[in-house]
Amino acid sequence: MDAVWSGLALGAVYALVALGYHIVFVSSNAFNFAHAQLIMLGTFIVYWGSVTLKLPIGLVFLLAAAIVGGVAVLEERTAIRIVRGTEGQLVTTLGFATLLNGATQVIWGGSPLQVPFFGSSNVLVVLGGHVFPDDLILMGVAVVLTIGFVLVSRMTVLGIALLAVSEDREAALMRGINVRALGIGAFAVSGIVAGLLGPLIGPKTFAVATLGSDLALKGFVAMAIGGFGSAPGALIGGFAVGLIESEAGRYLGASYSNLMIFAVLLGVLLLRPTGLFGHARERMV
Amino acid sequence: MTEPQNGPASPDVTQPPAATGPAASPGAPLLSVNELATGYGDLRVVWDVSFEVRPGQVTALLGRNGAGKTTTLRAIAGLNRVQGGSVLLEGRDIAGLPPHKRIRAGLGFVQENKRVFKRRTVEANLMLGGYTRSIGRKGLMKAVDEIYELFPVLRGRATTTAGQLSGGQQQMLAIGQALMGKPKLLMLDEPSSGLAPSIVSEVMGSVAALKSAGLGILLVEQAVEAAVRVADQIAVLDVGRIVMSGAASEISDLEIIQDAYFGRVRERPQ
Amino acid sequence: MLSVARRIPTWLLPLIAAVIVIAFPYLGAQSPVQRQVILICSLALLVSGLNLSLGYAGELALGQAAIYACGAYMTGYLGSHGYTDIVLQLACAIAAALVIGLVTGIPGLRLGGWALAMVSFFLVLLVPDILQLFANQTGGAQGLTGIASPSLLGKTLTPNGFYVFATTVTALWLLVLRNLVTSRHGTAFRVLRENPVLASSVGISVFRMKLSAYAIGAVPAGIAGCIFANLDQYLSPDSFGFALAVSILAASVLGGSASIYGAVVGAVILTLGPLESTSFQQYSLVVYGLLLLVGGIVLSIGIAGVLQRVWARVQRRWLPPARSAPYEGDLLPRTAGTALSVDHLVKSFGGVNALQDVSLVAQPGQVTALIGPNGSGKTTLLNLICGYYRIDGGTISVGKEQTTHRPYRIARSGVARTFQTPSIPREITVAEAVRAGRYATQRAGFVPAVLRLPSYRRARASDVEEARRVLALVGLADQENEIAASMPLGTRRLLEVARCVIARPKVLLLDEPASGLDENEVERLAGLIRKISDSGGTVVLVEHNFRLVLSVADQIYVLARGQIIAEGPPSVIEVHPEVLTEYLGVRVPEADDLLRTPSEVADND
Repeated sequence: MDAVWSGLALGAVYALVALGYHIVFVSSNAFNFAHAQLIMLGTFIVYWGSVTLKLPIGLVFLLAAAIVGGVAVLEERTAIRIVRGTEGQLVTTLGFATLLNGATQVIWGGSPLQVPFFGSSNVLVVLGGHVFPDDLILMGVAVVLTIGFVLVSRMTVLGIALLAVSEDREAALMRGINVRALGIGAFAVSGIVAGLLGPLIGPKTFAVATLGSDLALKGFVAMAIGGFGSAPGALIGGFAVGLIESEAGRYLGASYSNLMIFAVLLGVLLLRPTGLFGHARERMV
Repeated sequence: MTEPQNGPASPDVTQPPAATGPAASPGAPLLSVNELATGYGDLRVVWDVSFEVRPGQVTALLGRNGAGKTTTLRAIAGLNRVQGGSVLLEGRDIAGLPPHKRIRAGLGFVQENKRVFKRRTVEANLMLGGYTRSIGRKGLMKAVDEIYELFPVLRGRATTTAGQLSGGQQQMLAIGQALMGKPKLLMLDEPSSGLAPSIVSEVMGSVAALKSAGLGILLVEQAVEAAVRVADQIAVLDVGRIVMSGAASEISDLEIIQDAYFGRVRERPQ
Repeated sequence: MLSVARRIPTWLLPLIAAVIVIAFPYLGAQSPVQRQVILICSLALLVSGLNLSLGYAGELALGQAAIYACGAYMTGYLGSHGYTDIVLQLACAIAAALVIGLVTGIPGLRLGGWALAMVSFFLVLLVPDILQLFANQTGGAQGLTGIASPSLLGKTLTPNGFYVFATTVTALWLLVLRNLVTSRHGTAFRVLRENPVLASSVGISVFRMKLSAYAIGAVPAGIAGCIFANLDQYLSPDSFGFALAVSILAASVLGGSASIYGAVVGAVILTLGPLESTSFQQYSLVVYGLLLLVGGIVLSIGIAGVLQRVWARVQRRWLPPARSAPYEGDLLPRTAGTALSVDHLVKSFGGVNALQDVSLVAQPGQVTALIGPNGSGKTTLLNLICGYYRIDGGTISVGKEQTTHRPYRIARSGVARTFQTPSIPREITVAEAVRAGRYATQRAGFVPAVLRLPSYRRARASDVEEARRVLALVGLADQENEIAASMPLGTRRLLEVARCVIARPKVLLLDEPASGLDENEVERLAGLIRKISDSGGTVVLVEHNFRLVLSVADQIYVLARGQIIAEGPPSVIEVHPEVLTEYLGVRVPEADDLLRTPSEVADND
């Protein structure tokens, strides 16, 4: 059970990355390679705020949300808005991701920094397994955010507008929706959420510059398993990846966990390219 | 997130179809298109098109398939770049505005092929139509209610996803959605295409009702007869140019239009 | 004179440069310099592989670093187990690289776009894990030591010998690549990148072509691995990480992804630039990131393309293209058209019937026109004929053979088509664009192209000759060396027709060829269509321009709401009541009236 809990906690992190991809994908039809790096940046900001500056936790949350949100908007302007075509955006968002990797390394160095958890770190026993409160909160946040995103997008006019944009960009324009502003807004929100997650994810993963690419790939696999364009799919895919990683690590050895995830990814792409919850689009000429 | 900004200042929220009352001077054109040239990329489809739409009147834009009718509407709505000429809405040149601002300036566009958000419910579609208006959720629901009064059949299907509606219902939803934005000028692109004759007359009936409520309407149709019946002004396009135009009352002879269609009178002076 | 001046630089300069670099040790270069050059060679090889998939086939692959590692460890394993022959090592490294390229390319390319980017990037992440799994063979995290010096033909290579070997192999690879991309295959890659639908319409299998580009791109990574393993005779997992993957992409973007020598330029800058000096090393990722950001923007806006166009203009100004002699000979030899028959075709999309029981026949030597209102199913019908949609019921046959649902196979069986929006890859000339039409029907493999075998030369000569004939036919003989994408729309439409005609199609489908053309151009087009059908070709014309249809068609089919409502020669269709109904929206009896006594209708109204 311990392994299940730790798998689910890891999975929650991957699900949160996948959800970030999803929000941007829905609103801008772009794949934000750098989303995982935004989350990584969040963990560094939290380290900086709580360890270096010794700010109260409330301020740390605010600081992380503000900075990461700002960086996300900067990314939208430089790496998405002015770049047309998937190919170009792949290169620019990867460039932005690399830039963030490099910048954090220059500022905070290459070795992992321990980010303190603001709550209790006493191990709990739940359903016969040991689990940290932080991990439980992470899982809860992943589930709540996914449900929240689904509800907001179904119930509010703004949310409906977001889904409308993803369904038919031009028809959305003809309803007077400022599609570009919505795109920037979605980036800002995904950045702010990434920042707010810093205090939760940091204690689990440490603040380290290599975190980004690892999270990016696992988040991508989560999305591929769940199906591109589905928020619940991202959540379930995330948990699935986390469980595969921890169970493979437990039964086969740590070196096998990434290999197993890769095998699952290849399998999904070959057998069910739309993922579990994705829907195929009619191919048009 | 950008909140929906204030739409055109319009305190009256109770009557969606009545943006400009019949009291507005019928003399001033609501929309005037002058020497419009447009197309897709460097493909020029419309070379020289001019016409007007007045409040409370229907201008029908006719012409063969591929004559440039839809392209003209798209250019007015900002979906195609205006390559030459001007587009004046209430005397103001909107050719440089981004599409969503043109909608906010009082343009409503019902695109061809019943283009509603097929994965969303009827109610969500209608609420989205009111995206530009800051009237709160209550005001929106009230406006939605008014659309249901105009198209009662939609009320019973409020929670159905739009993709499951029949073609006629989708067309009504598309029109209702555009009306939710309280347009002054409504552009309809082939509202009758693909519909059964009985539905066509129902749709055309609502066009007539909207017209008498004071809306200016720009109607693109292939069903000439139905269009001529409801229109006040007619313009016939061929190969991106106006080949014939005038008041509907003067063009009662369908043969003239037929000739224009088959290119027999292309040289005919206007 | 001028043509000689134009020909020399393309291969002579690189050759001279290569010879000088290979001769460095004998010109007094010491081992630190040699080492730098070998590192540049490795990086250039890696970048050239990426360029093939990114710049030519349009797919971003980030796995070069992992394939490089595979080649290096394969060599290292052999070298530490007594198999020091460098040719053997090279062959094994290439084979291993190809296997990895195929295994990861197949699932990644099913989705393309980010799926391939991520799958290939994942490989890089797996490198340390896999090395750890095979720690006994690879040394795991400690690295692999004990690699013996390489040998060639039984003799141990001296450092100078190894240098010459490494640089020569690199130069040879670049030559292979150059021969590949300057051949018809290079044009095919570009067509593919620009528009996969267009590619399949000239008979290119999109999936196989992309897979070929990706798999061939793995080869230089294997070679680079082999060179790298023998350079230091020590391998560590740290050499093959994220930073390397990113620097390969940065070098590619820096040198220009759609070029061969750009790979070398990018590699030189990244290797010799300030990034590698220790004081700057910590900033390297920041700089790579900025490079990619700016490079990606340039890539998408097409500044590179703009520059190339400017260069082309300069070339034209100062070195006017050789005017070829006017084409002499039969412009349009007899075309062997085949009847196209569509029988009881049914197609529906999500329950909506797009086509219901449509039957028609297009005969050789005739122009068969298809008209009908928007949404009547014309485009659906064309797409079914070309295999872009699956058929729900009924059959389509070309001659006696029933068509499949694979677009490239249908194209190869002799169906050529033009598109509503002509799309032509940037950077290629009019003649190249036309020659692309022969890609599938007159085949010539990769190997003959790379080795420039006589069979390739023959195919090329006939490509050139045929292109001249067809261009003369459509009246574009003078423009054969111009950049095709910069031509006005009318010219590009004629170019599309030429691209179809050069394949000597059994059936030619024209999809709204007159839209956007002015009247003179329409006339020219009409003449061309007539010529093709008079020579025996089967022409199917989908067109809105009623006058063009009436003037060239022998047989007209009118489609409405997915059904054929009328068929016959122009004289019949012009006065057909149901056609008027569709076009004018009046009911049938009224249309009858309208035809006879128009004024009565007005009275009734």
